[in-house]
Amino acid sequence: MSWLKRIFGGKAEPGVELGDAQRDSLAAWQRSAAADLSRPHYQTRYVVVDVESSGLDMNRDRLIAIGAVAVVDGLIDAHDSFATILRQDEVSTTENILIHGIGGSAQRDGIDPPQALLDFLNYCAKAPLVAYHALFDQTMIERALRRHLGVRLDAEWIDLAWVLPDLFPERIDAQVQLDDWLDLFSIENIQRHNAVSDALATAMLLQAAIARGAARNARTPASFIDIQKSRRWLRRST
Amino acid sequence: MLVAATAEFLRRHPPFDRMEAEALQFLGERVKLAYYAKDTAIITPEMGVMQRFYILQRGKVLVRREGEVGAIDYATMTLSAGECFPIGSLTARRASTNVYSALEDVFCYELAVDDYFALMRMSPEFNYFCTQYIASLLGQSRQQLQVEFAQRASEQQTMNSPLSSIIKKQPVCASEQTTIREVIAVMAGGHIGSMIVVDDEERPIGIFTQSDVLKRVVLPGVPLDAPIASVMSPDPHTLPLASSAYDAVLAMASFGIRHVLAVDEGGRLKGVVSERDLFALQRVGLRQIRQEIETAADIEVLAQAAVDVRKLALNMLAQGVGAEQLTQFISALNDTLTRRVIQLNLDRHDLYGIDWAWLSFGSEGRDEQTFSTDQDNGLIFICTDIMDREQTQLRMLEFARDVNDDLDRVGFPLCPGKIMASNPEWCLTLEEWEEKFLNWIRTPEPQALLNASIFFDFRPLYGQFHLAHRLRLTLLRAAQDNRLFLRMMAQNALSVQPPLGRIRDFVTDADPEHPGTIDLKKFGTRLFVDAARVLALAAGVAATNTAQRLRLASAASRAAGEEAASTIEGFNFLQLLRLKRQNFELEQGRAGDNLINPDELNQVERRVLKEAFRQARKLQQRLKLDYQT
Repeated sequence: MSWLKRIFGGKAEPGVELGDAQRDSLAAWQRSAAADLSRPHYQTRYVVVDVESSGLDMNRDRLIAIGAVAVVDGLIDAHDSFATILRQDEVSTTENILIHGIGGSAQRDGIDPPQALLDFLNYCAKAPLVAYHALFDQTMIERALRRHLGVRLDAEWIDLAWVLPDLFPERIDAQVQLDDWLDLFSIENIQRHNAVSDALATAMLLQAAIARGAARNARTPASFIDIQKSRRWLRRST
Repeated sequence: MLVAATAEFLRRHPPFDRMEAEALQFLGERVKLAYYAKDTAIITPEMGVMQRFYILQRGKVLVRREGEVGAIDYATMTLSAGECFPIGSLTARRASTNVYSALEDVFCYELAVDDYFALMRMSPEFNYFCTQYIASLLGQSRQQLQVEFAQRASEQQTMNSPLSSIIKKQPVCASEQTTIREVIAVMAGGHIGSMIVVDDEERPIGIFTQSDVLKRVVLPGVPLDAPIASVMSPDPHTLPLASSAYDAVLAMASFGIRHVLAVDEGGRLKGVVSERDLFALQRVGLRQIRQEIETAADIEVLAQAAVDVRKLALNMLAQGVGAEQLTQFISALNDTLTRRVIQLNLDRHDLYGIDWAWLSFGSEGRDEQTFSTDQDNGLIFICTDIMDREQTQLRMLEFARDVNDDLDRVGFPLCPGKIMASNPEWCLTLEEWEEKFLNWIRTPEPQALLNASIFFDFRPLYGQFHLAHRLRLTLLRAAQDNRLFLRMMAQNALSVQPPLGRIRDFVTDADPEHPGTIDLKKFGTRLFVDAARVLALAAGVAATNTAQRLRLASAASRAAGEEAASTIEGFNFLQLLRLKRQNFELEQGRAGDNLINPDELNQVERRVLKEAFRQARKLQQRLKLDYQT
């Protein structure tokens, strides 16, 4: 019964202790069916993610907040969104607070990190994840998951910073900042550097990408992943 | 947070800005955001029955009518952020007749159809918005009209806008004592066409226009130091600021004036609306048509003008103008046409020394003409010497024959029932008319009642109006006191019932020659017209117009004004359907009839039609109660 072992006997970081309910919740997530990445965009649930952290150092800075918005069958449902603040034992610098606006007491009153992350996992289920400059979000989340839950996410990440230039080369054929794309589609970001707001704006970009992809023979999440791979490879080889 | 952001966005746009908080929350929680790339279709007729309500969040949407050729062909419009669509087809649960496509990158909030209806039930504000929208769609979309105007005049105004929104400048005024010299200097200096003379309280008492300079000052040689009051046209036509552009157009058409003064509650002058201001609001120039009619030298020109009147009316119908204004409008212009025909004939007939007036009856008498109208007219005259009567009548008849023939040539067919001034039976002295009316009232046998329903709706068009007023006084005095007559009239009015079925929505087999249809006149508008006549006669109301009769009679009986209002709405809707039907028939080159097949109406129209018939039934029930028949 090796799969049982995998679920219940997973190697957590030393010091990770979960309650029964949390253990069940983690197991439920692990059991949830993997997404079929070959289904069309319009039959797929994407989760668009944005994180706020104590700084830009992916190896040392801590994850403070996660915002996520789902794009289901091409549509954004305001209800199907997620926001959490992870409790911080040590409040980030004032400079950092000024960026994301999550103040000291909000950081200290945040949700117990294992629980916050479990909530996040169960919100995502096994959906393909989408972000802009995804490497940062991915790394921050993976590190937090290992530390607090002792698990790996193993999700497919789609980075719009790679995908968008390929789909809209007539607009911008380069790696640029999120705001450049938002301007181009005149998407209003309600509150820049608020994780949910950034995720929503990114989700709207994903909608545009989906529509263009569907018209250009890139009809599935898998095809986006392919685009991203070949773009990266091109970049490396030139 | 996202729900709040959605609500926040919605709150910036009507009708959500006035929507109840709870309903807004409901909406914010249920909408989903969708994206449409530039140039892709959002809604097409092929999608079938509409499943979603769309609120434009970002970008522009192009609306195009597919195929269907209306009075405003292939009209297109663009929607921008905050606008909603497609309300009409969604509410009617049918496919859209328009194609909606993204002009640029578009983000839309979408609401499932069930939630849309739930929201309508939950929010009176939203419901009102949607149903109002439908009401305006019944003609054709008022928004299309606005677009039409926006393209023409680059200003978003409609004939329904209040005068306050049309007035652009402060009026230029003079006081009574201002000299003519000063007034003309100001007019010349500011290129002003007209000057309003006001009293100490800013109430307009006269108007002086550029053309008056020649006719009233230069030619008669009035000294320039004389006060303006001595040469102005006194008692200018005023309208309250809240009146619509239509009221102004109507006033101009009815009184043949070029300016209407807008006044506030205190009667103080707030602005001047000229024909030119209203020009921008309509396609076929009203003034041109009026001028064409008033200066027409012969019947051929008038016949052309009659065609123009019809075109203008069709345009207004297409623009979503209400039936009441429209029928009044057609009547007002037809009046002008008839007057000119009479004038032209007066040149050839010597009626010197006779006091007479031209009367119109039936729908024309009621100011309710539709597109297809034949003649219903008569003459009333005074004969001081009984010995001259025959001779005078002969002169009048000869004159009337020519007028009737000319009216026929202009486009008002001769009356098959011979209710025309050239018929000796309807070319009578005041005393004879009075005698006829009194006879019908005293002996209300079937033919008398039928006559009453035609002739009692008389209205003078030309000549000595006081003759008609005297006849009216006689009629009202006699009818109001005669309970038996009124009861017989009521019974007559109740002889036809609204075609509401017990099992099916409508009874469509009343006429064996046209199965599957409803005659909107016979089983619709006439029910209102007949009932309104009884109520008006009983209340001593002099008006002949059905809507006015209902309003005034209900005011006289202190009945709830709301009730009269919904009755009138029902009547107006039926009139509107008739106008649309006749329009359609005329476009197909057929004589307009009043038959509609309810199966061909959309859900909304069917619902409103049902409601209109219910209003007829309510009106009839009231009549029944009043007269215990």
